[in-house]
Amino acid sequence: MSRPDKFIVDGKRLDGRLPDQLRPIKIEVDVLKRADGSCYIEMGKNKVVAAVYGPREAYPRHIQDPSKLVVRYRYNMAPFSVEERKRPGPDRRSVEISKVSKEAFEAIIMKELFPRSVVDIFVEVLQADAGSRTACINAASVALVDAGIPMKGILTSVAVAKVDGVLVLDPMKEEDNYGEADMPFAFFIRGGKIESIALLQMDGRMTKAEIKDAINLAKKGAMEIYNLQREAIMKQFVEEGEENA
Amino acid sequence: MRKIVLPGDLLSTNPKLAGHGTYVEGDKVYSRIIGIYEQTDNFIRVIPLKGKYNPSVGDTIIGIVREVVSNGWNVDINSPYQAFLPVSETPEAKPGKKLNEIFDIGDAIIAKVMSIDPRMRVTITMKDKICRAIRFGRIVAINPARVPRVIGKKGSMIKLIKSELDVQIVVGQNGLIWLNGDRRKVAIAEEVVYLIEEEAHTEGLTDRVGEFIRRRKNVQTG
Amino acid sequence: MPEDILVDIKRDYVLSKLREGERIDGRKFDEVRRVEVKTGVIEKAEGSALVKLGNTQVVVGIKMQPGEPFPDTPDKGIIIVNAELVPLASPTFEPGPPDERSVELARVVDRGIRESEAVDLSKLCIEAGKSVWIVFVDIHALDDDGNLLDASAIASISALMNTKVPASRFGLGEDFELPINDFPISVTSLVVGDKFLVDPSRDELSVGETTLTVTVDKNDNIVAMQKSGDYLLSESLLDQIIETSIGVSKRLREEILRQISKS
Repeated sequence: MSRPDKFIVDGKRLDGRLPDQLRPIKIEVDVLKRADGSCYIEMGKNKVVAAVYGPREAYPRHIQDPSKLVVRYRYNMAPFSVEERKRPGPDRRSVEISKVSKEAFEAIIMKELFPRSVVDIFVEVLQADAGSRTACINAASVALVDAGIPMKGILTSVAVAKVDGVLVLDPMKEEDNYGEADMPFAFFIRGGKIESIALLQMDGRMTKAEIKDAINLAKKGAMEIYNLQREAIMKQFVEEGEENA
Repeated sequence: MRKIVLPGDLLSTNPKLAGHGTYVEGDKVYSRIIGIYEQTDNFIRVIPLKGKYNPSVGDTIIGIVREVVSNGWNVDINSPYQAFLPVSETPEAKPGKKLNEIFDIGDAIIAKVMSIDPRMRVTITMKDKICRAIRFGRIVAINPARVPRVIGKKGSMIKLIKSELDVQIVVGQNGLIWLNGDRRKVAIAEEVVYLIEEEAHTEGLTDRVGEFIRRRKNVQTG
Repeated sequence: MPEDILVDIKRDYVLSKLREGERIDGRKFDEVRRVEVKTGVIEKAEGSALVKLGNTQVVVGIKMQPGEPFPDTPDKGIIIVNAELVPLASPTFEPGPPDERSVELARVVDRGIRESEAVDLSKLCIEAGKSVWIVFVDIHALDDDGNLLDASAIASISALMNTKVPASRFGLGEDFELPINDFPISVTSLVVGDKFLVDPSRDELSVGETTLTVTVDKNDNIVAMQKSGDYLLSESLLDQIIETSIGVSKRLREEILRQISKS
């Protein structure tokens, strides 16, 4: 891939989207039998699957917290998920993504209800496009609901990038690689509204005013994704009901 | 369909109504789990549709002995936490009797949750008339979150199954259910339990279950 | 992570002070601890800096060598930032491969340098597509009394400012100064409820490692941000922190550059 001359032509992006448009999203809930909760998401060309196990007894014992639940999050890219084969196992990027994603969920999971136990969130990136961490958080969020984990609300994640001086929602690979800035978010959603920020990273160059605009754009996208997450979770019950009617 | 809510859904602005499956922040009551919204005049609660069994004192549970230790048994109760049954809490304990002669690894028991310390160390007892070792009948497992539906409002669902099928049923809060009686009737009861688990979120379930039982009985006798 | 019993005691103290609108060491909420920068402290390194931020101490050494460029940037040098939180620096650091904290620290420092384009990488090309200079920035924590991240970022850019490219050693002409275009400053704040404390000390961090780092370039642009820790951040607080960080970064940059020019 090389740097495109222009990212936006006639108001449209390289893949035909408008600056405030998400890539197509597909969400399926309860896709794995063994896991306590699971979710499969496609966001553009990202294909990720999330599994939640627990709460279960925490082993090794030294990771136990006598007063609350321990949350573990493992973001992992399959070797075949990218153009050039990725060496298996955690690299520095995965370690960092796992850390900040874990912390975002720690902020909303009601940990004090399950002392001494652990909940494991495993997210496998089967195919990576730009924004795989955001897809993973969206999948993990649904999988946690599916596992019946008590939470204050739901997390929804999306990124905003800056290309040719324009803010764009849910960047594709070219925008992510060659853009002037990238800013992934995860929002805490409660009562149908965005309440606060659970994950925030940024690299690139942005003015204070641009950051404000980026937040608003991200919030708009997040609400759209939230509605899809919700719909996907509810759908399993509608279908079950119809089958047996 | 009954109203299904998700974590963070706003349920009420009256904190006094907050019941199971909810939490209060500010003056608002939110759901904390995925479940069925239920409101009475006195409270709002969310009956879980998913999730593990989290023990609570007084619960009747069905467990499997996993380990025999010097002063009792460690029992798997289908929860994030193992339970401990002290030898002093078993009526069958007698001087000179070895612990593994009372309960051995793999034995199933009906017990009650006696105490839980702040570290979630769970102690169970068998000193209650409902408690016993399970040596016959069938144990079926369902999602613990669906147990309240199997019991029904004020035990209505259980009563229905018992009266229609004349079987013994003990429902463990941890999702394990013991059925005992005529083999064919137990088989129907097992189907009924799975039906309730599957359709826990739907309305008019008691009526449908009654009809289902009568239909299955006719198939067997006819 | 092993926790000191003192942490619990400190936590209550920090919080009760905070309710009175004060910090335990008497600093203002947007006040950075005393900063001391010494460059050129390691002769064997191409560049180096020792930074003290209050009692937090970090040394950064720069090593350079020719190497192969990345395929997508054949005519640009490469920067690699690595951090080691050695057990000497804190009772909670353990020997072994870099854990998630050191990885995060290195990557956030890296982003600040990279995104502000502080080092002019286009001047580090030896032969396009074949050979470029690789700049290794190694962060070595000596004493973690809180906010190792900002101390590391200051030490890294200060060390880079002090770096001579060792061209003669590799038979590539005369040594020259590493071309520096910007001086990014990272400003980390501890978020406690609806308040934030700039440059938190270890004692202050006993309330929880809930921080937001904002890295600012010399033109007041934001070049990196990182929310770290299990908390929820309101939009209005984020706004205030960005605003404050820009102001703090300006003052801090002036002070550091003043010290470097004297040493």
